[in-house]
Amino acid sequence: MSVQNFNSADPFAVDKSEQEGLIHIRIQQRNGRKTLTTVQGISDKYDKKKLVKYFKKNFSCNGTVVDHAEHGEVIQLQGDQRQCIHDFLIEIDLATKNQVKVHGF
Amino acid sequence: MLRKLRSASPDILSTSVAFTVEIFLIVLFLFDKLDDDMNFDDFSSMKKKKKKKKKKGFEDGQENTEEGTKEAVENNDENGVKEDQIDDDGTDFSLPMKKKKKRRPQAKENEIEPDEQEKEGSQPDYADREYTYEELLTRAFKTMEAKNPNVVAGEKRKFIMRPPQVFKIGTKKTSFANFGDICKILHRQPKHLLAYLLAELGTSGSIDSNNQLIIKGRFQQKQIESVLRRYIKEYVTCHTCRSPDTILQKETRLYFLQCETCGSRCSVASIKSGFQAFTGRRAALKSKQQ
Repeated sequence: MSVQNFNSADPFAVDKSEQEGLIHIRIQQRNGRKTLTTVQGISDKYDKKKLVKYFKKNFSCNGTVVDHAEHGEVIQLQGDQRQCIHDFLIEIDLATKNQVKVHGF
Repeated sequence: MLRKLRSASPDILSTSVAFTVEIFLIVLFLFDKLDDDMNFDDFSSMKKKKKKKKKKGFEDGQENTEEGTKEAVENNDENGVKEDQIDDDGTDFSLPMKKKKKRRPQAKENEIEPDEQEKEGSQPDYADREYTYEELLTRAFKTMEAKNPNVVAGEKRKFIMRPPQVFKIGTKKTSFANFGDICKILHRQPKHLLAYLLAELGTSGSIDSNNQLIIKGRFQQKQIESVLRRYIKEYVTCHTCRSPDTILQKETRLYFLQCETCGSRCSVASIKSGFQAFTGRRAALKSKQQ
């Protein structure tokens, strides 16, 4: 066990998980089998309206940008789009794998 | 395609080639499936990943096999070297050739005849190669289990968890019956696990008198299981040595995970539910505000 410690990652790296750059993708249940996906933490450099436009077209769902006092601008999409968004964000290099956090079941 | 082939080359040969190629592909496919099944049998996530990578190496040709074997060396610490050599030899024999075989029939079938003849020339090798692939697979697994049983069995023993019992209550609520037991097994406070579950699932819920958790919304056991798995990974297993003997302490508003086995100590992320969209009826919201 003690030898394995040497192989492990930098112990201080854990602190970075709480850094600001994380993008959270969450899911919420609505009535029936309907769900809602929220994307929180996309940096201000990106135009969320354009992103939503793209999402709406490509994932064929509706969506909006909601301005929240605490969490900033949050993207809301209808249905469970977690995997799509996750793949998209990584594909266009908007975020790395470690920066995207998918929540929910 | 087939007709063209027939007209181009002698009937029996071409059809037999196509047929053998097909059978071969099917066999390959079956093997891959088998592999997957085997992976599912293992519970610990680490093992899964490594095995999968190795498997890819087997399929993808030389570069990847090298990577795979490197990983294997890491896995097996001291006695991995011999195995790897064996593996390497085997893969050199079988894999790159296979890849070519796979592609050729699709791409060049109607282009050139000499190609066909090449195939025929190398046809007898099929049986041998297939055999070595199978042999190699079973052999690799066997040697891995035989040479370091503590890695395979040891990890498994630690991660045995009781599955969460999840029932529906009516149409809108879900009960997590053995919530209290699971908290005890994990040595975590029910409050902490509750907060995590609710934040992850994005709902509300409460613990009732006989220690079962009632969550709003419909959830299946599978879903709860995946969330629990994530909880264990983040808040129960030590981030350095992956042992589950850990204590979660709260200090100056931050949670720290102290490992009992290796003594390491690291901070873990705090539980935040984040943004919650409003999903109820708008009219209710309006009437509240007024």
